[in-house]
Parts: sequence; C-alpha cells; structure tokens
Amino acid sequence: MRLTTNPRIAGVRLSMLGHLYRVRLRSHAVQELLAGSGIAVGVALVLGVLVANSSLTGSAGELVHDVIGTARLQVVARSQQGFDQGLAPVAQRLAGVRVAAPVLRANAAIVGPRGRTGIQLFGATEVAVKLGGLGRTVLSQHNAQGFLFLPASVAEAIGTRAGENVTVLAMGHAQTLRVGAVFGSGAGGGALASSPIAVVPLALAQSLTGLTNRITQIYVEPQPGADSRVRAELRRVAGAGLDVEPADHELKLLEQAARPNNQSTELFAAISVMVGFLLALNAMLLTVPERRRFVADLRMQGYDWRQILVLLAFQAFALGLLASAAGVLLGDLLSHAFLHRVPAYLITAFPVGGSEILRPGTVLIALGCGVLATMLASLSPALDLRPSRPTDAALLDREGGSEVIAHRTTVQLALLGAASVAVITAVVLIEPRLTIAGGVALAVTTLAAIPALFAMLARGLRWTGERVRSSALIVVVSELRATTTRAVALAGIAALAVYGSVAIGGARDDLLRGLDANFSEYLQTADVWVTTGGNDLTTNSFAPDGLAARLSRVPAVSSVRTYQGGFLDVGERRMWVIARPAGDTPQVPESQLLHGSEASASRLLRRGPWAIVSAGFADEHHLVVGRAFTLPTPTGPARLSVAAITTNLGWAPGAITLGQGEYQRLWRSRDPSALEIRLRPGSSPAAARQSILRALGPRPGLGVQTFAERQSQYEADSRQGLEALSQIATLLLIAAALAVASALSAAIWQRRARLASLKIQGYSTAQLWRALLLESAVVLGVGCGVGAAFGIYGHALAARWLRISTGFPAPFTVGLPGVFLTLGLLAIIALTVISLPGLAAARAPARTSFQE
Amino acid sequence: MLELRDVAKGYASGAQTVQAVDGVSLTLGAGEFVALYGPSGSGKTTLLLLAAGIAAPDRGSVVFEGRDLGTLSEREASSYRLHDVGFVFQSFHLIPHTTALDNATIKLTGAGDTLRDARQTALPWLERVGLADRVGHTPEQLSMGERQRVAIARALAGEPRLLLADEPTGNLDSERSAEILALMSEVAHERGIPALVATHDPEAAHHVDRVLTIRDGRLVNAEADSTQVDSTEVDGAEVESAPAPS
Repeated sequence: MRLTTNPRIAGVRLSMLGHLYRVRLRSHAVQELLAGSGIAVGVALVLGVLVANSSLTGSAGELVHDVIGTARLQVVARSQQGFDQGLAPVAQRLAGVRVAAPVLRANAAIVGPRGRTGIQLFGATEVAVKLGGLGRTVLSQHNAQGFLFLPASVAEAIGTRAGENVTVLAMGHAQTLRVGAVFGSGAGGGALASSPIAVVPLALAQSLTGLTNRITQIYVEPQPGADSRVRAELRRVAGAGLDVEPADHELKLLEQAARPNNQSTELFAAISVMVGFLLALNAMLLTVPERRRFVADLRMQGYDWRQILVLLAFQAFALGLLASAAGVLLGDLLSHAFLHRVPAYLITAFPVGGSEILRPGTVLIALGCGVLATMLASLSPALDLRPSRPTDAALLDREGGSEVIAHRTTVQLALLGAASVAVITAVVLIEPRLTIAGGVALAVTTLAAIPALFAMLARGLRWTGERVRSSALIVVVSELRATTTRAVALAGIAALAVYGSVAIGGARDDLLRGLDANFSEYLQTADVWVTTGGNDLTTNSFAPDGLAARLSRVPAVSSVRTYQGGFLDVGERRMWVIARPAGDTPQVPESQLLHGSEASASRLLRRGPWAIVSAGFADEHHLVVGRAFTLPTPTGPARLSVAAITTNLGWAPGAITLGQGEYQRLWRSRDPSALEIRLRPGSSPAAARQSILRALGPRPGLGVQTFAERQSQYEADSRQGLEALSQIATLLLIAAALAVASALSAAIWQRRARLASLKIQGYSTAQLWRALLLESAVVLGVGCGVGAAFGIYGHALAARWLRISTGFPAPFTVGLPGVFLTLGLLAIIALTVISLPGLAAARAPARTSFQE
Repeated sequence: MLELRDVAKGYASGAQTVQAVDGVSLTLGAGEFVALYGPSGSGKTTLLLLAAGIAAPDRGSVVFEGRDLGTLSEREASSYRLHDVGFVFQSFHLIPHTTALDNATIKLTGAGDTLRDARQTALPWLERVGLADRVGHTPEQLSMGERQRVAIARALAGEPRLLLADEPTGNLDSERSAEILALMSEVAHERGIPALVATHDPEAAHHVDRVLTIRDGRLVNAEADSTQVDSTEVDGAEVESAPAPS
C-alpha cells in the first residue's frame, strides 16, 4: 500500500503552492529577479554593517579567551616595566590555585622581507600549557626554545614563514630571531590567526625587552569554587602596586576604548537596517500591480481569502528567503572587502585582530529583515481582500496599488515629526548619553517629514506652473499631486542615507579637525621626535642608554628632553599617561583645556602632586579643578589633585598628565618613551634627522621623525581609525543612490502607458524625458533636503555627544561642502542611472498606451 | 481636410500579419462630422491611429491639410497631435490623482500655455460637457461617464483642427450620449473642422453628416452619405440610419 502525504494549508496543497510559485517564476522571471536583487542588496547592506560593528569587540573577545584559556584571574602590572617574576611561584603555592602562569607582554614591532608591522610580544613558560589557551596552542606543539611563533596574519603581512629570520624591535632594542612556526594558517585559524600576538618563551621575551626577570601578568586558574579566596590571597601577595582582576578584564577595557567607535557604527548599522529594509520593501513593491491582478483572478476563480493569504505569504517567503540568502553572501563579501580593518589607535593598546565574526544571530537578523520586508510588501495586494473591495478592484485600478497618503495623514505625520524632534532634543539635552538612541529616533523622524515636504513642494511647483510656461513642470505637478507611499519610500531611502552621511560624516570631520589640532599642539614641543616608532600615543618606553647626552652633541641639536608616558588601567579605563619634561611649554595642548588655565596647570604639574585629567575620568570620579583623588600607580595608590580638566586628547578612555618628577617617583622609572629634540634656529629638520640617525648608531629599535612626519602619521592613523565609518557612509550612500535610482526607474517603466497617452496628446519625447528627470530630481530633492536638514541637526547632537559624553575634541562646524558633496554624489549617481530608463520610457511609442 | 488614400496597415501576430486596415480611401471635408461603424476588430481604432499620426501606414498615405503624415518625423508627429488633433480615447487616458480641470489643460500646457491660462481656456469646455461642479475632482472620484466627458473636454479645449474620437459615448447613458454627440457635431460645424468618430452607438447616426462602415479593414460603404444608408450593421445589430442634421 502506498502512503501519500499531501499536507494542506487553508485547503491549499503544499505541492500546489510550490507549483504556483514555479509558474510565477517562469512567467515573471525578470520581475522576480529585480525584486530579489533589491532585497539582496538591502540584506547585504544590513549584514555588512552588522558584521563590521560586531567584529571588533567580538574578535577581541574570542582572542582574549583563546589567550587566557582556563585562567579566571590575573595579577597585572601597572606599568610596562612589570614586576618581579618571583611572584609567580608565590601565587602558584597559594591555597586554591591550580595554575599560575607567568607572562610578559610588551608592544613591539617586527620586520620581515615585505615590511614592518606592530605586534604584541607574548612571553610564556611551559606552565601556560596547563591553561590550555595560547600556551597549549603554540608552546606544546613546538620546540619553543629560542624561536618566535607568529600568527598567520603577521607572517603574511611581513612576508615571512617558518624557518626564516626576522627582526624584532622591542623597547628600543632590536634582535634577529628565527620564526619557529606560523600558527593559525588555513581555514579555522580563528581569532589567533588574525591577531597581532607573537609568542616567544618567557626568557626570550625578557631578553628582547631588556626586562630581565620581569613579567607583566600572572594568569591564574583557581580550583573550582576558590575564586574569591584566591582573589583575596592574590591581592595580599601582590601588594598595592599591582592589580588583581578577572583574566578577561582587558575586554572591558577594550569595550570602553572602542565604545565611541562602536556606538557611531551602531548608529550607522541602525540606519543601514532601515535603508536595507526600505530597499527590500521598494523592490517588492514593484511586483505589487501584478500580484494584485493575481489576487483578483484567484478571487474570481473562487479562492477564499485564507487561501489567497497563504499563497501570497508563501510566495513572499520564498522570494524573501532566496533573495536574503543571496544578500547574506553578498554582505559577507562586502564586510571582507571593506569593513574589516582594525583601528590603528587601538592596536597600540590592545591585542585586537582583524578576524571577522559572522555570528548566527547576525545572519538571522539580516535574513529576518529581508523576509520581513518582503512579507510586509506582499501584504499590500492582500488589502484587496477587504470585504469592502470589489473583486475586480485591481483590474479597474490602473495605478498599481501605490496608496495615496491622505492630506490628513500628511499633517498628522508632520506634527508627529515636529513633536518627535522636540522630544529628542529635550531628552538628549538632559541626558547626552542617549544621543545615539536619539540619532536613530531622528533618522526615523525624517520619514515623517517627507510627505509634508512633498505636499509643500507640489504646491510650490503648482504655483510656479501657473505662471511659467513649462510642460514638464505641469506633468511633474500632476504626478506629484498625489503623494504616494512609494514616492515617500523612495525619498525616504535618500533621506536616511543623506541623514546618516551628513550626521556621521559631519561628526567625523569635527573629530578629525579636533584631533588634528590636538596632536599638532601636542607635538609642537619638539622639532624632531625619537621614539620606538609606530606608536601614536608614545607609550612604549626604552632604555635611556645615555642617548640624550649623545644626541645633544649633534651640531644641529639645541636641546634634548626626555618624554615619558604609558598606559595605566584605572577601573575599566586604560588611561593614557603623559609625563612631559618640565621644560615643555605647554604641558598640555591649550586648545584641549575645558576647565583651568594652561599656565596655572603647568605650574602645578611641575610642583606636584597635581595632575591634569580628562573630562570623562573627571566626571566618573566627580572631580573638579582643585579636588584630590587617588590614582593606582605601580608604587601603590597616590594622592593627587586636579590641576585642570581637558578633553580626552584623542584617546577614548581618557588621559592623565603628570609632572615628570611625579611620574618618575610614582612609576620608579626614568626610561623615556620619546626624546624631544629642539633644533638650532635655521637647521633643516630633514638634515638634522639624518644627523640624529647617525648619532643613534646601530639602534634599529628606535625611529626618528621630524615634527611634520610625526604629524602626518597621526593624521593618517586618526583617519584610518575612522575609516570604517567613512566606508559605511560611502557604501550607504551608493547603495541608497542605486536603490532610489532602480526603484524610480522601475516606477517610471511601469508608467509607460501613461506617458504614451501623453504622447498621443502631442507631448514629445524630449518633453516627457525632461518631465521624468525633473520628477526624479524632485523626489531625490525632497529626500536629500529632509536628510540634509535632519543630518545637520543630528551632526550637532553627535558633536555635542562627542564632546560631553566621550570627551573627544570635536568642535562643531557645519561642513557645507561635505553636505553638498553628499547630496551631489547621491543625485548624480541616481539621475545618471535614471536617465537611461527614463529616456527609454519617454521614447515609448504612442500606441503603447493602447497595448496596456 | 483629412484624406486617406488607399491606406493599409497590418500588425504582426506571431508568424502572421493581421491586416487591420486594407486599402481604405476616404476624405473628410471641413466641418464634416463622420461616424465610423464596424464590429470589434474591424479596424476602426487603427484608422483613427493612422489619422492621428500615431501609427504610420504600410501603404498609401494619410494627408491632413496637404501634409503627408507618413513623412513626419517623431517630433513633427508630436507637434501635429499637440496642435492639430483632438483625440478622445475609449480608455480616457486621464492622469490619475489630477483634477478634471488640470486633466483638461494637459494639451494646452504641453503647447506652452501657463497652467493659469490653460485653466481659463479649459474651464468652459468642462462646463459644456456638464462637469461644472466636478472640475476639482480627480478621475478616481469620477464615474466612468464623467471621466469620458473630461477626456472630451480635454480634446476640445485644445481647439483642434481635426477631431478624432474612439467610442466617446461608450460609458454614457443615452441622454448624455446625445448631448456629447451634439456638442461634437456643433464644434465640428462651428469651427469647420473634420471630425471622425468610431462608435457602436446607434445614436451617433442621428448626429453625423455621414456614416461609414468598416469590416475586415475595408470600408463597405465608402464615401456614402448617411442619408443614403437605410441600415448599417453595427456589431451584428441592425441600426436605423437617420438623416444628418443640416
């Protein structure tokens, strides 16, 4: 006996659903392909931005856990000079400790045949193998002695492989090492493969850095249930100069450092989701007229509303799923090609890699957006199922189901938009931390303003048309009189893209201007800088080795001063510590002062114990000028008073400037992290640089840069750090332009019969083409205008947020050239794309109107 | 004067060619109002399209006031339709969501009038077709008959020198049909312009100067005066002919 299963939904066989969709695909292949392409592009945009947004902290999280293995606690140094490795066996012997692995981590650079790149040196012993993290991955699999183990990404970047020699530059020293192995190559290399972490035996790391018998961390795995006890014991043995933190504490520090960047990207992600959604929706709307006729035909054949709904839903789901799957692949390519670079400024402080994290949740969100948009758009034909609609409504309606927005709705939306702007403004003014949410709300509000602007513009054009002889204008007025949902959706895409580009682009430009001004002032205390190279924040120290005295004998050199600095973890902030030589004027960039005066602050710093702190840190600890606070330092807690409050000086977690005497006392270090060299008047910086390089002798671990060269490096790095934002803005703009253009083109194409009927009335091809371009320009103009106006407002809010919430130097300036460039780019792309189908539609023979 | 000389027009239908109009010759003099009867697919609409310069004949020539329409460029043909022809379509071809008044101005603005001037010109025509109280309504708010009258007003408002109409009374009741046909007749006679109406409406015969019948693309009573026709086949129905108005 043959058992057949024939499941039904609302009386429709599943096989029939499939059959009907196959029929549809055969008969409307091009239409489905167009709609599917639109949906795919929208989904790709959503996925690309979501991946870019989640990859930085996501990959860092994966990496940190790959490194620490089963460790749950760590003892960590407060300076790069670290602490005595003798503490590790002490920790190992504590009750409740299963493993205590000593580690030395240091920023370094590596030079290979193809160039140089920054790495984080990770020195560990065989004890680390027990933790099962990086130690086991590398040290247990290779004969570690005397070798360097590189991740695949670093090996590729510098063009080396196992068995070859490379030069490692660390803390002013250089040493040639053989690459023992390259780990993480091939598929499944994970976060380690794309990380900047190079592993060496601990002893070798100490030798490379000159930190003999020193370590910077002890990773600790307590016995099960012994965490609290072990933590307390570790605190006791570590003393006041070391921190005891969770082993993955660095993730919190990174999240804090990357927060402004992530939040900005989140805003873009939200806008991209909306644009992608509208794009998919618009693409689907193209098929609405035909689907309405399909519904009408089925109703006349006797299908009931449930059966029709099932059919519509199935077809939309099938199209949405297929197109969204294609969009996911496209989005993955997009994020690979454009959006995966890690900001350089973060690499100097955190071991972050460029690996991408494509989480199932991200894929599901992107797929869901595509399917949802498709399903929502497919609901439009279902409106014909209302009891009040005649069966042949779709056959009588020649307008393709694009619903007209009633005047009353337009007014209500405008009022709602105005109220939203007022509420957003009030909320953001009261609580600046809600600016990102406000930015998203403002983006949504742009959509509410569009119908009103359409109505006003139509009225204005009508007024003009009454007085000016322009047939094109009259046609446009006629077309625009009815503000349809589709026109609003099209303008909405343009508005959202322009809003995002103007708001984020403007804030980005503010930030770059602020950073440029800050670093220019920061660097102007020297004509030539000697550093370990590549480190923007000058936080890597090196042994003085009498360099200052040697360089001061170079004829062109007027003076050599020792600059000191580093990072210090305070709570969840990895603060930038600056200790300028006493002779530096100013001690802090004057333009970055928010409270206090430069003269007074400099005087107090030289006297000590005073500090200049950044606004975010000050707010967090409720500090004002003159108030005392306690800073955890390598020698224990230190009591300091606030001499002035600044911006964050370009480092998101914030900065603390100390007098150099105070720094040397608290850090117990005289190691410079830079030498500031003043040249004699009339000396050429370039020539002096060469003389200084010669005077340094064989010290490839140190780099020499003129003021101009170092300034260029800062500017390049700050732009690279914001590259993802620029790329997303550009992608968004191009995607939106193409989306608007394709949807407008399709809408124009669908109106060929109407255009042809105007031809019968005697309108020429040129008249109709002009009218179509003018109409497209009006739709784009409305979208761009609303987007630009809201974008400038969003930019002002974002700049305020950058200053107040993040402490970044970001003076607000309306960048009109940037705004016009954005509008121009979108308009040119869209109108160029539209012009050809527009011309083709305008050239449609007059008899076309009889064929429809 | 409109003159069709041995005009033929065919349409490709798969591998075959359907001869829509085949060897038609006719002349419409100044002020002459002519009805063109024939069953569906007989070639009525094609004949109108040829006269409007929308379609070009495969053979023969269509001459309006000495100009051979077959020799016109696309631009010249557009200009001819804009300035010389008033065309009433069976399917109206009105612009959606646009008021009746502005629909009626579309030819005028296309010819270069401002909207304000065009409205002043078009408004009396809407009043003449009985839509004085509906000028602010859009096609979606009008009945089929009212839409048809808007289309007629649009054709007449441009002060055409040739009036063509395809089933202009197809959606009107008999009383309104009579009014519209009388109006078209009046315009043709007042202005001295030729007018050709393709229709199924038996009422038309009472208003025209002449009735022509087309079947299978050929005129079956070419150049016949309506007064000489006792009956005319209209879609299989026998229609009484009526004397033309003087």
